[in-house]
Amino acid sequence: MDGEVTPIAVRAATDARSERELLARARLHVELTATLSGSLNLRRTVLRLLDLITPSIADWAVLALVDNSGGVVLHGGHDQAFTTALSRVVIEGTGMDRVLRSGQDELLHVAVELDSTDGLDTMIPHRRLRDEAAGLRPADVLSLALTTRGTTIGALVMVRGAGRGFPDLDVELAGVIAAQASIALDSARLYEERGRVASVLQASLRPPDLPLVPGARVSARFRPADERMDIAGDFYDIHGSGDDWLLVLGDVCGKGVEAAVLTGRARQSIRTAAYFDRRPSVVLAALNHVLCEVHSSRFVTVVCARFRPAADGLSAEVDVSVAGHPAPILVRADGTVDQVEVAGIVAGVIADASYTDVRVTMRSGDTMLMFTDGVDEARGSDGFYGMERLLALLPSYAGAGPMALCEAVEQDVVEYLDGRAHDDIALLAVSCGT
Amino acid sequence: MTGFDRALSEVDGEAAVAVVLGLIADGADPLAVLVDVVAAGQRRVGERWQRGEWSVAREHAATGVSVLATEAIARHAERVPVTRGRVLVACAEREWHLLPALVISTAMRLHGWDTVLLGASTSPARLSQYLQDVGPDATAVSCSVLGALPTTRRFVEASTTAGVPILVGGSAFGPDDRRAVALGATAWAPDAHGAVALLDHLPAVVPKAVPLRGDRFVEQAAVELGHNRLVEVLRGRWSATTSGGAPSFDAACGEALHQAVHAVSAALLTGDPRPIPDTAWWIDRLLTARGADSRLVAELGAVLALAVRDFPEAHALVVGHWPGGLLVPEGERAS
Repeated sequence: MDGEVTPIAVRAATDARSERELLARARLHVELTATLSGSLNLRRTVLRLLDLITPSIADWAVLALVDNSGGVVLHGGHDQAFTTALSRVVIEGTGMDRVLRSGQDELLHVAVELDSTDGLDTMIPHRRLRDEAAGLRPADVLSLALTTRGTTIGALVMVRGAGRGFPDLDVELAGVIAAQASIALDSARLYEERGRVASVLQASLRPPDLPLVPGARVSARFRPADERMDIAGDFYDIHGSGDDWLLVLGDVCGKGVEAAVLTGRARQSIRTAAYFDRRPSVVLAALNHVLCEVHSSRFVTVVCARFRPAADGLSAEVDVSVAGHPAPILVRADGTVDQVEVAGIVAGVIADASYTDVRVTMRSGDTMLMFTDGVDEARGSDGFYGMERLLALLPSYAGAGPMALCEAVEQDVVEYLDGRAHDDIALLAVSCGT
Repeated sequence: MTGFDRALSEVDGEAAVAVVLGLIADGADPLAVLVDVVAAGQRRVGERWQRGEWSVAREHAATGVSVLATEAIARHAERVPVTRGRVLVACAEREWHLLPALVISTAMRLHGWDTVLLGASTSPARLSQYLQDVGPDATAVSCSVLGALPTTRRFVEASTTAGVPILVGGSAFGPDDRRAVALGATAWAPDAHGAVALLDHLPAVVPKAVPLRGDRFVEQAAVELGHNRLVEVLRGRWSATTSGGAPSFDAACGEALHQAVHAVSAALLTGDPRPIPDTAWWIDRLLTARGADSRLVAELGAVLALAVRDFPEAHALVVGHWPGGLLVPEGERAS
């Protein structure tokens, strides 16, 4: 049969039903739509569909979804979470293949005789699943084509045991579910495919894992303006080895994906420049040059620090250079707090700009905090968070280490925002000594 | 003092990592090390802050050491093959204690679950994004502060709308499942062992949480929205904050005010009045450890009742459940 119930049958069925039943059907339809549209994740949508069908509509169900190579992936059976892939060759010529190719539904009856598994063989081309279904004989097998947006994307195979059969009304209901499920599954698949592209591209733009720096401890925090994303216009990086490390933190003008792409370029330029000369002022000059050459209207602010711990681990020489960025703050072990006095023009605006290095000495227990303007320019009910609030918070965290310091700043700023929107926030801190 | 406590006290991350990895190398069950050494040590850190022995910064620094030790166990757990499904582990907004979530995530990983841990204080929008991208078998939410219960409810809505079962736990839920049930969570776990055990028994798909409707929730939303204003009103009326004291005492009083308002909100949201007396006793321990008189806590109850007098449900909760009788401050006598 062809799934569509004939108009005469519909009329007869409608006459037989009370208004209350119709209302219940309408409610079920709304609930169905809401249930199936709640998830954009393909696997979760599959689970919900199977959960919806069994046991209320069928005793047993398997969903077959066509994959990119023409094979199918089967989901369900007695264990709803079961899943297995079948190649094109395995399904060719089976009843399932027929449903997938023709887009036409089929209803089969499988008798109780032990050797009579023909119908199941053809509709369920998988041994374990077929055996499960065979256990329900005498069984009726309803295979619905899942067609949406002009393509048959899969088939839903439902089995009812003990000769209960599928009356016309239930076939009709199953058809409604299949139609809703087709759209939900197809949307979830589109989302998943796009998501895969995005996550691969995003992986290269995500903040890096921090390396172990001998004679020091480092920590970072990162909170994009769009909290659904893992990438933003703020960035940080640490590269180096042994007793010579470069710590970089910066902010590309703008937000979101466009800004994140530029952070990738900036990070790469900095890494390459540092390969030739590790002085922060020279690295920033090189970055500035590269950004000016690409004629991008976007500019970048960066703070760059070269951290060189002494052999005894009790102190470190740090050269700091900035390009239009707030200077880092030094939190001394004794609670003294100072902002390093260093300045420089943003990178990407004036081609021959030059930068200066300022040297500071850190001792054991001292921490240097680098931050982006998402911190001091966070807007709460009292206006900007501001540098004064930041400088007042830090002394009590002297000696507490970079992780506690970064967490305290992030928490204080986010609590200050009290749910308001914010710019990207990035923090990078390094403490001298272990 | 145990080696781990010494490491916490001296803010020595390397020593803490050496202690836990040493125990595991000697054959200790990593989950037991996680629960009996790290989580237990961390509880003592919280107690030291509450007793006024340690500053907030020192508590944070020690917590950082516990995080390092837990991360070391988490790296050890990466060797366990993934034999079960995937769990999204998260902290709601205002929950800055990442450690319990990290402990839960590691405990689940040790049991063969693949886990994805979102950071501290996560928005419902971010959780939703991960629900769609990851398609987990379950969501696990750690909630140790009452102030994070409202967003935890949003997490319940986000997770169940996607059909994903949601397991909750943490000290903000109290000693039983009453608050968890009120928020519509699928299951409540009393501890890390319980959370791991429950994962095997969660349904594959759950229905969308029932909407919360009624006067209690209208009041809860208003108290939540007016949180900062309410705290300022209390600050201006409570003698502990109007008379001025040492900075550390003022900080503790400020924390007490936030907790008191969060307790009212949590009681309204869950229909469980216990957060109110529990918070009052917590404030009592906090302040008496800093040399204050218990009468300040009774006074705070009176000031709080007055501040929420326009909200009948909230007012009744404070009047009925703030312990120690209500001491009405001079000049603030309600008619």
